[in-house]
Amino acid sequence: MPELLLQAAAGLLSPETLIFLVGGVIIGLVFGVIPGLGGTTALALLLPLTFGMEVMHAFAMAGGIMGAVAMGGSISAILLNAPGTAPSAATCLDGHPMAKQGHAAEAIGAVATASPLGGLFGVLTLLLVLPLARDIVLLFGPPEFFLVAVFGIVTVAMSASSNTLRGLVAGGIGLMLSFVGYDTVHGGVRYAFGSDYLWDGIPLIPALVGLFGMAEMIRLSIEGGTVAADASAVRLQGVASGLRATFRHWKVVIRGSITGTLIGAIPGVGGTVATFIAYSTTRNADRDPDSFGSGRIEGVIAPESANNAKDSGALLPTLAFGIPGSAEMAVFLGILVLHGMQPGPAIFADHEQDIYGLILALTFSAILASIIGLSFVRWLAAITLVKGEILAPIVIAVSLVGVFAMQLRPGDIVLAATLGVLGYLMLRFDYPRLPLVIALILGETAERGFQQSMMISRGEWGIFVHSPTSVVLVVLIVLSFGWSFVPMLRKRLAAGIAGAAS
Amino acid sequence: MRVGVRTLSIAALLSIGACSEPAGYPNKDITIVIPFNSGGGFDTYVRALAPGLERHLPNAINVLPKNLPGAGGRRGASEIFRSKPDGYTIGIFNMPGVLIPQLQNIPTSYELSQVTWLGTLGYDPYIYAVRGDSPLKSIEDVSELQRSVTYGATGPGSTSYVATNIVNERLGIPYEIITGYTGSSGYLLGLVRGDFDAALLSQSVARSYLESGDIRALAIFGSESSDPDVADADDLGAPELGQLRVVRMMGAPPDLPEDIRIMLEEALLASMQDQEFRVWLETTGNDVHPAGAAETEAAVSEMTQFYDQFKQLLD
Repeated sequence: MPELLLQAAAGLLSPETLIFLVGGVIIGLVFGVIPGLGGTTALALLLPLTFGMEVMHAFAMAGGIMGAVAMGGSISAILLNAPGTAPSAATCLDGHPMAKQGHAAEAIGAVATASPLGGLFGVLTLLLVLPLARDIVLLFGPPEFFLVAVFGIVTVAMSASSNTLRGLVAGGIGLMLSFVGYDTVHGGVRYAFGSDYLWDGIPLIPALVGLFGMAEMIRLSIEGGTVAADASAVRLQGVASGLRATFRHWKVVIRGSITGTLIGAIPGVGGTVATFIAYSTTRNADRDPDSFGSGRIEGVIAPESANNAKDSGALLPTLAFGIPGSAEMAVFLGILVLHGMQPGPAIFADHEQDIYGLILALTFSAILASIIGLSFVRWLAAITLVKGEILAPIVIAVSLVGVFAMQLRPGDIVLAATLGVLGYLMLRFDYPRLPLVIALILGETAERGFQQSMMISRGEWGIFVHSPTSVVLVVLIVLSFGWSFVPMLRKRLAAGIAGAAS
Repeated sequence: MRVGVRTLSIAALLSIGACSEPAGYPNKDITIVIPFNSGGGFDTYVRALAPGLERHLPNAINVLPKNLPGAGGRRGASEIFRSKPDGYTIGIFNMPGVLIPQLQNIPTSYELSQVTWLGTLGYDPYIYAVRGDSPLKSIEDVSELQRSVTYGATGPGSTSYVATNIVNERLGIPYEIITGYTGSSGYLLGLVRGDFDAALLSQSVARSYLESGDIRALAIFGSESSDPDVADADDLGAPELGQLRVVRMMGAPPDLPEDIRIMLEEALLASMQDQEFRVWLETTGNDVHPAGAAETEAAVSEMTQFYDQFKQLLD
């Protein structure tokens, strides 16, 4: 392993590869800073372009994007209260109040250190766990996959929105979409209306480009104006004290990183949940939780360290099981397959050096992104001042070209456009899109896992609590369902006690 | 420039039967359609072969692989079938993957009996495999089991599913198939994990797991066995099961002019003899079994007959 790691490092540090890495970092920053674009879109656009590239170049670029998006997203979250990416939303909570008080530079400084430190923590964890990948893979059979998929859908539906019911509705729509196409268990074709295009099901990448990028641009065109409503806070002083603050609050960094890595590793749960949980655990552990939300720097550090740590966590199920840990990873999976790497048990053995290269690219890119982000912060923020009527057509055209170029299927354009409208309607009527995407990704896994389990056990339900892994998963599902009822119960209980006392 | 190219290819089209000179063919790039994503067995094979084809065809043109994945290979097959028969679009067919839907009467926009066959690159035999620590040591052990044997496969109608059905029906083994695994690596993992007793795997997929001892071969179909512990179709008294293999065949749209067909066939056969390609085969552990157009055409009709007699097992 050490020699391969060194070789990978040497490969990554070759001038050519570095250019791709830096290119990825810049793309990641730009896409991160523009709300609605984010890493998923950047990777989706990049995917067809990586085709002619060497594996290491493609990985350097993808790693550069994934490591840098968080930084970009947090810059607009802090300066403009408009999270550039979904996981950066948690950074708004205390980051923007800091900006309002004139501490914007300090907040961005904290991001610039917390982000790569979280990333580094995640990478070290990933390197430790890699040798066990095979054992981890064999822990998951059809019953476990079913339970993991259910857990992912439930968790996201429960936490993606303040309105659980809407989250579940969106998850339900995603499940329906995932049923389209060839049923690999029974061989029937469902909802394909005789078209060869739908035979393969709803393709993920065009769906993602539609639901996020297109939807956001439709909103921008309809509402008019610029992405950023208020650009008054684009002044930068006191970066250094922010940089130092992260080291002063090292406990917060570690807690955030652990949360990020763990939650990132659960397929389909992803970054947004990770950053919000990191934020709330830090808040709950603090002596003065009520002061959060008014500009506490810990409230920036915690979600930021989780934001980059989650990428490493998310890589594990993506590589080992071929199950994406996040929407971003789903697109990354496409890049892997495009370069002839079939995710699965053999990938670590067959492509060890490439994977180390990718892991290193993730680390370097987080550091690079901080440096570049700090020096270009004014220009990046200027993108959010571009008028919608100029930005929207460019972004829409570029995304559709990207979608078509991937498989040369005109149907992909129609699908992206259709889901763009659906995505806009969901934005407009305040339905979370994440559960839909997660359900679309995990629906097939859930269905297949369930049916195969039933075939293996010959109809015995006991198979779902047959192994320690599945028992743990069942408990987690029950807990995450129960979690959302805790505040309600507490309120009822309090009301009951008050009622009894009077 | 483009206009000139087009005029020339129209001239080539008009010359069918009348003139034997292929009007300077080839004078533009040739596309090889691959019905799968890049990186798979079919894709790497074509990519390794393309430079040789360029060398063995007259004129300095490029041979460009084009991946058209989808619908289990049917999208690629349709694309080849519907292209102009001018020799500039050829492609690779996964057999019997694209044959089975045709026999199942699934509407397809191609008809394999009308394809202009150019040759065969090679084939991948099926391995009857069990887990490394399985008590089953031979096919006899399997048929003496007092219960039905469980297998893993991808979806109904897939080549692995059909092959599993045919083997067990022919050998009279009671069986059940757990379907729905994603690709051959999916049910290979299921076999290693112990989800079921046995599986039919293509040799190229099984190779590294056979070497590591995770799985063990009890029989091989589609090729003669070189290992005394591994039975082949003849040993099992069912020689027709030798038809069970995945074959990579090259073809062109129907009615390809004969002179162009001959040029492509010869270039294909010649490039498979290239030193460079041979080295690639050896380093990657790929097999090559070159066959010409006539042999390929015969193999297609033989294969069609074979699967046709098991028609009731295809769905």
